[in-house]
Amino acid sequence: MSEKKNNKVKGITRRDFLKGLGSGAIGSAILTGGGLIPAESKAELLGPGAEKIHGTQKIELLINGKKERLTVEPRTTLLTAIRDKLHLTGTKEVCDRGQCGACTVLIDEKPMLACMMLAVDVRGKAITTVEGLSGSGKLTPVQEAFVEKDALMCGFCTPGFVMAATALLKKNPDPSLEEIKQGLAGNLCRCGTYPKVFEAVKAAAAKMRKGVAHE
Amino acid sequence: MKNIDAALHTRGESQYVSDLPKPAGLLYAAVFASPVAHGEIVNIDLKKARQHSGVIAIFTARDIPGENQIGPLIPDEPLLADSMVHYIGQPVAIVVAVSPEAARKAVKSIQMEVKELEVIVDPRAAFQKGEIIGSPRTFELGDVDSTWDVCDVIVEGKCEVGGQEHVYLETQAVRAIPTEAGTMTLYSSTQSPHAVQRTVAKILGIPSHRITVDVKRLGGGFGGKEDQATPWACLAALAAWHLQKPVELVLNRHEDILMTGKRHPYSSDFKIGLKKDGTILAYEVRHYQNAGASADLSPAILERTLFHSTNAYFIPNARIFAVSCRTNLPPFTAFRGFGGPQGMFVMECAIAKAAEVLNIPREEIQRKNLLKEGDEFPYGQKAEAARAEVTWDKAVKTYDLSAIKQRIDKFNQTHFEVKKGYALMPICFGISFTATHLNQGSALVHVYTDGSVSITTGGVEMGQGFSTKVVELAVKTLGISPERIRVESTNTTRIANMSPSAASATTDLCGGATIRAIEQILSRLKRFTAEQLSLEKPDEITIQNEQVLYQGKPTGWDWKELIQRAYMARVSLSAHDFWAPPGIYFDRTTEKGHPFNYHVYGTAIIEVTLDCLRGIYQIDSVHLVHDLGRPVNKLVDIGQIEGGLAQGLGWMTVEDLQFDEKGRLLSNALASYKLPEVYFTPEKIDITLLEKADNPRGPYGSKAVGEPPLMYGIGVYFALRYAMRAFAPDKDFPFQAPLTPERVLINLYGDTKSSSISVKPQSEEKEVQPVSGK
Ligand code: FES
Ligand code: FES
Repeated sequence: MSEKKNNKVKGITRRDFLKGLGSGAIGSAILTGGGLIPAESKAELLGPGAEKIHGTQKIELLINGKKERLTVEPRTTLLTAIRDKLHLTGTKEVCDRGQCGACTVLIDEKPMLACMMLAVDVRGKAITTVEGLSGSGKLTPVQEAFVEKDALMCGFCTPGFVMAATALLKKNPDPSLEEIKQGLAGNLCRCGTYPKVFEAVKAAAAKMRKGVAHE
Repeated sequence: MKNIDAALHTRGESQYVSDLPKPAGLLYAAVFASPVAHGEIVNIDLKKARQHSGVIAIFTARDIPGENQIGPLIPDEPLLADSMVHYIGQPVAIVVAVSPEAARKAVKSIQMEVKELEVIVDPRAAFQKGEIIGSPRTFELGDVDSTWDVCDVIVEGKCEVGGQEHVYLETQAVRAIPTEAGTMTLYSSTQSPHAVQRTVAKILGIPSHRITVDVKRLGGGFGGKEDQATPWACLAALAAWHLQKPVELVLNRHEDILMTGKRHPYSSDFKIGLKKDGTILAYEVRHYQNAGASADLSPAILERTLFHSTNAYFIPNARIFAVSCRTNLPPFTAFRGFGGPQGMFVMECAIAKAAEVLNIPREEIQRKNLLKEGDEFPYGQKAEAARAEVTWDKAVKTYDLSAIKQRIDKFNQTHFEVKKGYALMPICFGISFTATHLNQGSALVHVYTDGSVSITTGGVEMGQGFSTKVVELAVKTLGISPERIRVESTNTTRIANMSPSAASATTDLCGGATIRAIEQILSRLKRFTAEQLSLEKPDEITIQNEQVLYQGKPTGWDWKELIQRAYMARVSLSAHDFWAPPGIYFDRTTEKGHPFNYHVYGTAIIEVTLDCLRGIYQIDSVHLVHDLGRPVNKLVDIGQIEGGLAQGLGWMTVEDLQFDEKGRLLSNALASYKLPEVYFTPEKIDITLLEKADNPRGPYGSKAVGEPPLMYGIGVYFALRYAMRAFAPDKDFPFQAPLTPERVLINLYGDTKSSSISVKPQSEEKEVQPVSGK
């Protein structure tokens, strides 16, 4: 899950930087009104397309196939936007620092940590949260396998694992145990469901391969 | 039956406190905590904080209308510090604002002037200064003093065992909603709704019946929310009380780790005397418990250390001394095992050291001294249905111990820098609250006219699968389909005075009460059916697969029809019932009694591979034989075994709780406190459940499961020690847990003369040649 790892490493510095300055960022550009360099020259440094934002701003996000309009501050993380603004509470906040995987969402099919991203950064991208995986009352093969293998206890880490497993199986429909571990590295479960999660991912992979073969 | 919440969990639809829809006008609280470990408060300056935008109010100890006291066992803990602070992270003030960010920002600008006082972080130092909580306790069996003389070998030593951070993934969380006429409802992530209710009432100075606490589920508790969910609930309630607005208080991870208690670190001295064949004749141990700044549950936890200090062994002469020592660290608290694991670890250290001195395998001493039927524990209870030997023997046979040993020794002969190790770990854990009065459970069952059933109990679902087991018990008792049964939130209005969900006992107590409540309703229904259908023997009416049978034959009624008819005939379809297992008592003046309803037994064999150049290791396998009685739900129970095991393994290896001498927590984030993660998981886990293991004292013959498996994890310490000794046979390693990779390296290459360990062979004539003795 190199995407996630990259996101984590880059994210920490960027996030801390942003939070430290208490100002805004947008797209790939980072701007601050309070730094030593005047904002304008920073915008130049950051190249064309850099945009300076203050206060709050209305943005549109594509979440679970729906366009959602919301007002955010530049520093609002995707996790806060999802949970507090859109009331999609399946994505959990556990560490808010990229250290546990409980907030994993899919962005353009890749697993990303929502606590390490800014809401304004993901405009125009397809965001999937755990609520967007399956139709109402239904379960995806991954969810089904988690239920069948009892790969959950308190359930607080479960949405994150389901998202990470979903992303893994999209990329690799037949992962080995080692690859499953790689795909889930970064997701923590304190209840200790790991052995059953591994089994569930294996079972889900088998289910999905069978499903594809039938089609 | 699958976990009843499974589908919800995977869909992200299960609601925890902060997922509940937000009421209008919800305000958010953040806590200002002491930045120093010990001192007198000279001044608290709130001026700047008050001016922050979004701040609504700030409350301190002065604003508490009732009693500023939350100590659960001993009144030594204020909710908010008033004149003194005793640890870093102690709550001093609470800021309420329109958003959590605004509240936290304001917290940062609170200034507190403190006259700093001496900081104690070490339990032995505290003991020397007389800083103890309660009185020291001693359990005694036989006559230790006169036995030393007849021992062939005596070994003494010292053990240090670290604490453990709970890291329940859902941090401490509560929402307090004021309601009419001075009442309030709290949604709290607590294992002990009643503790929250009565403590909130106390700090507000109102009767308990004005406070309702409701708990749907917890995102993990592990003991960390047994007593320590209470302060946060009280703080939110205090703010909501004054403002008459709903207030949410959710600690972020950093605050949670900083401000809440953890598993107790212990420092212990042991002395063990044996015959040369490995029979243990005498054991003496002194435990110094690091209790932190206030009592919290420490005295009760200390008591369980006393109870479990001889683990699964019979030792005819034992003296166990234990004392809670007050330090300037956050109040240490309950954590799965509740002091038992620390006591068991020291016992295993003593056996390990004795085996090294006698130059015999550790497991020879272990096996020889396992509890037999009727053996007496140091607290006076006798082992009944003792299964220490059968689980041990079954593990040795099923997993072929001699093959394991051969394989490992062969590997070690042919490998220089990588070594393998193994260890056996038997466990014996007593089930019951050791505070006898807490051994009570309640349930309230309603059957509605459509035949659906609602069950509320005094138990809290925290991931241990309690609700699933309740459904399972109800299905067994009622004979109807599980789809008809719903387990409700735990609620203090529906169930009064409930004990915390702890001590592994929730299913036994509240499940037991559920069965009884259902039986009440069933007996009314049977009487009614007998009358209506003119059947002579109501006792021979049963319900199976929703059909009402008489003497095994269909009566023509099904469940739905029965319920409708009974309702029309004005038969009560609700029942409350209670379960208090008989025969439990303990006399604290003699330190003798029968504190446990029964014991859980099992044995694990753990294998590891250690890279002796880098200090890193892999847990190759954990094979275990466990006694679940007749399990109510195998799937749930196996999850509990694996989960407990993971926490035990983590505690002994990578989870390194560190404070500095100023009382500052160094392992203060998930980046600096390592948890078992995907790669840590043993390559192989194999669990064998003991067969034909009835338990007449548990619901439908089952046994409690939550805590005991954690203690299998202790075995990994000794498996690693075996591997270290294979690499450096002449070194004498100190007993210090956790055995992190760093500590392995220090042991292997540092100067690890463990001065504290002295070995005294009794005399030349006894022909015992201590190998590593000095
Ligand atoms: S909450 Fe995002 S990684 Fe932990
Ligand atoms: S199920 Fe509780 S943390 Fe994973």
